Amino acid sequence: MAIVRNTVDRLDKPSAYFNSRNKRRRTDHRDEEEPQPEPADDPLKDATTLYVGNLSFYTTEEQVYELFSKCGEIKRLIMGLDRFNKTPCGFCFVEYYTHQDALDCMKYIGGTKLDERIIRTDLDPGFEEGRQYGRGKSGGQVRDEYREDYDEGRGGLGRAIQSERLRETERRDHDDGDYGRLR
Amino acid sequence: MADYDRRNDRRGGGGHYNNRKRRYRDDDDQDQRGPRRRFDAPPHVRVRKGLLAIAENPMRPWHEEVQSIANLMTENYDDELLRGNFVDLVLQLALEQPLKTPFTAAVVLVANTNKPELIDTLLTKLAGAIEARIAQGEWRDVKLYLKLLACLQSMLEGDGVFPVLEELFSRAVDLQTASSDDTIGTELVKIILLTIPYVMAAVSGNAAQKAADLMDKTDIIASEPHALQTLIDPYHPDVDEESPTASMSLIGLLQKQLQQEASNGWELKCLPRPWKFPLEDIEQQTKLDECPKHALPTIKVPETVVAGPRPLFPEVYFSVYAGQEVESVPPTTDIAASLVRDALLDGINVLDFNRHAVARNLIELDCYFAPKTFAARATPFDRLRDIEPGKSTWKPEDVAVDAVFSQLFQLPSPEHKLVYYHSVLTEACKQAPAAIAPSLGRAIRFLYRNQPRMDLELVNRFMDWFAHHLSNFGFTWKWTEWVDDVALPDLDPSKAFIKGAIDKEIRLSFAQRIKNTLPEPYQSLISADTEKDVPDFKFATDDVPFAKEGRELASMLRKKVAEEDIQPIIDRIQSEALDRNLDPLVTSTDVFVTAVLHMGSKTLSHVLAAIERNKDRLLDIGAASDAAREQILDSVASYWAAHPGVAVTIVEKLLNYSILHPLTVVRWALSTSAGRTTGESLARGYVYEVVFNTVVKVTSRVRQLVSAPSPAAKTDGDTAMGNAVDTSGEAEVRAMRDLFRGIEDALVAWAEGSKDEMIEAELGEGDGKSERDRLVRRWGTRWLRVFRRRAAIEEGFVQEAERKRALAPPEAVEAPGKGETEGDEKNGEGDGLDGIE
Repeated sequence: MAIVRNTVDRLDKPSAYFNSRNKRRRTDHRDEEEPQPEPADDPLKDATTLYVGNLSFYTTEEQVYELFSKCGEIKRLIMGLDRFNKTPCGFCFVEYYTHQDALDCMKYIGGTKLDERIIRTDLDPGFEEGRQYGRGKSGGQVRDEYREDYDEGRGGLGRAIQSERLRETERRDHDDGDYGRLR
Repeated sequence: MADYDRRNDRRGGGGHYNNRKRRYRDDDDQDQRGPRRRFDAPPHVRVRKGLLAIAENPMRPWHEEVQSIANLMTENYDDELLRGNFVDLVLQLALEQPLKTPFTAAVVLVANTNKPELIDTLLTKLAGAIEARIAQGEWRDVKLYLKLLACLQSMLEGDGVFPVLEELFSRAVDLQTASSDDTIGTELVKIILLTIPYVMAAVSGNAAQKAADLMDKTDIIASEPHALQTLIDPYHPDVDEESPTASMSLIGLLQKQLQQEASNGWELKCLPRPWKFPLEDIEQQTKLDECPKHALPTIKVPETVVAGPRPLFPEVYFSVYAGQEVESVPPTTDIAASLVRDALLDGINVLDFNRHAVARNLIELDCYFAPKTFAARATPFDRLRDIEPGKSTWKPEDVAVDAVFSQLFQLPSPEHKLVYYHSVLTEACKQAPAAIAPSLGRAIRFLYRNQPRMDLELVNRFMDWFAHHLSNFGFTWKWTEWVDDVALPDLDPSKAFIKGAIDKEIRLSFAQRIKNTLPEPYQSLISADTEKDVPDFKFATDDVPFAKEGRELASMLRKKVAEEDIQPIIDRIQSEALDRNLDPLVTSTDVFVTAVLHMGSKTLSHVLAAIERNKDRLLDIGAASDAAREQILDSVASYWAAHPGVAVTIVEKLLNYSILHPLTVVRWALSTSAGRTTGESLARGYVYEVVFNTVVKVTSRVRQLVSAPSPAAKTDGDTAMGNAVDTSGEAEVRAMRDLFRGIEDALVAWAEGSKDEMIEAELGEGDGKSERDRLVRRWGTRWLRVFRRRAAIEEGFVQEAERKRALAPPEAVEAPGKGETEGDEKNGEGDGLDGIE
């Protein structure tokens, strides 16, 4: 049964990120097996949860509620936390009561501003314990490890870069000290 | 799969193999590494691309574009894929991008001169689709298809589209004669009146007699004010005023505008005529004039027509640019006002799945109407008066913004969630800030000026939009303009708006940030408490009774001690309360709830967890006494007084747990809190919000239950308000009626000034008191109108659902698990849109 494509793109489709994650998994087995037909049940077909990204570390639950309630009552909100400090690290999961509310949120709220930052929303198959923590090396989100731009709302430069610089400065101070002593 | 460019596409989304890297994401579909191969897309793809983008480029003459697509089509006529796609796409575009309908119609007309056989296929499908949509009550689709058909009138045999319109009219007459409350007939007349101008533009006024006959008939229905009009009027004037939109019924205006056009020989200046070829192309024009004619397949209209999935209401024409010294939008006497507005609204409401495209269409709307209909884009308002007489002063931005606001301020409610219309305005403002922002500014000033006489529900929508919009644009607004209103009493509607809007801004941001955007006089409106992250715990010092117990309770709750350890403290509070002549349970409830709230003060998650843990005790309190149950709410409101948004969310959750009842909220807001402030709290945005949200929660639950009886009703504990559900929802319907009655009784007293607190109040003497009383009565009246309308609409919904259930064949009711509602049929086949099998 052919699905008629709309004459303009839809904003309530899962992002390239979600698709590519699934695709990669599929291509792993390609050599051994026949290419699998499209899985019949789309894990997002009744999704009521959204992943929300690019939040400021300072954005509060109350702010998220205020904005996201405009698409329907929120059933559950899970703030993304730094794995070590347990402080907000710039993402969250918003769960609605209905799939339609989640789709509407994709269409009407994704790509608009919260706390003066453009936020990103993506349909999500559902929250699972553990996913509230950042997966980056230092505890936050991966994207905040090597970020080269200075983002005040997300802890400045990427953390890996910050600690790299810190090491460099220390080394230089140390070297200077050595030179001093030699003189 | 009908579409070529999706063949490579494995999931139907992005379509690239290598899209993990962000930098490739924007590339074309045929993305290949290495030098790009020159590649001519197959004809059906080119036809699709051409049709999708038709009229978008203002530099390209319409007739050239139309001709080239039509030629591409006829030259590759042997391509079966192309023929099928063309027909389907023309039909689909009519629904999805109605602004382009005259242009796609022109392509069809030109194609007809070469390949008339294709047109028969198209007409058959179109007629079938119209018939199917009429049967389903999908009236907008019917209107949009009829618009396409009307544009094709010149190649139809006989009277073409007129017999269909006449058939629809005869249904309208039957319905209107049967009941003055009927809205389907009104909708049908609207469709007829909006189709006539497209017919007349297509045949250059040749069917004047036919149109005149039809309009003679519609006049009776269109010119009569609808019984429901006062219910949905955006204005709610004070007793001694008249609503500015009293005579602005949409179909009433249309009827007059069309009569005006008829007397001007159907000039219809704003409509594009892309089927008119310039003089140098006389050959093509002759072909068009002498084109092969086709008989329109019969379109059957069933004896009884249905309202369809969306409830219908009469409409009122609303403009935020009314009464300016220079006309920046078409006046309501001009047919352009209705035609442009209608075309834009369809575009906005159909494409809610891509606000970027909607915003672009709005900004470029002048591409889709006759040249010279509008002034140049982004002409500043002050420069409109310099435009020489005879030329248009209509600002395209104003026309676009006006259309969106007409939806935002549509009663009882627009098609989509309000936030959609917010997002369209945000997007338009982002895409063309220099053009759109000043138009929005003028709209805001108009609304601010007029909001005291507008419907209270709409004022709250305005407030919500205003704060949300500012949050997307750095919270910049020229607050200095309203600085004089800061000194007004809190009961004044302008002051109430300012306070409400600032509160909403803070909720989306934080107090210090918003304070920095406000001029000095406003600063005092943000209390010191608002700037605190965590509210003060009133039991922290011994100034208040039961402070020690409060602290003790808080620390026990923090340690999560067992339930039986808490009880002794509660008992102590209660016995002391008895000594002080206080209600023991109410007193202990305040201490307990305040302690729970303080425990959860850090974030909403904390407070929700704290409530969850103490749920049983809270439920018991409510079960024991209504006064204590109301105290729970009062404690929440007073603890979070500086952050009402948090209180509103907590109340929502307490309702879900049934710790609070809907009537508790109403009693607290409209009697206790309003009484304590002698009516002043009726002017507070969040008080309205908490009552409104409660009503919405109850009514949407009822709607869900009565429209999907027994098996389909969700019974998992997750659903909002999820307690035991009886199958027909009778108990819920009864509770809803009680709720509305409770609201009515409380508000009538305020509206009539018979509330005890108002009579006894010693606020000011003589004039001061009577002025204050007048304001309070006015607030009462405004509240009353909002909730009376809600009550009437919900009652109508319940009765309609009952009627449908009674009519439904028994097996449909009994079939368990199916749970099919009327709306489900919408996806049925048979409209021929699915194309190639």
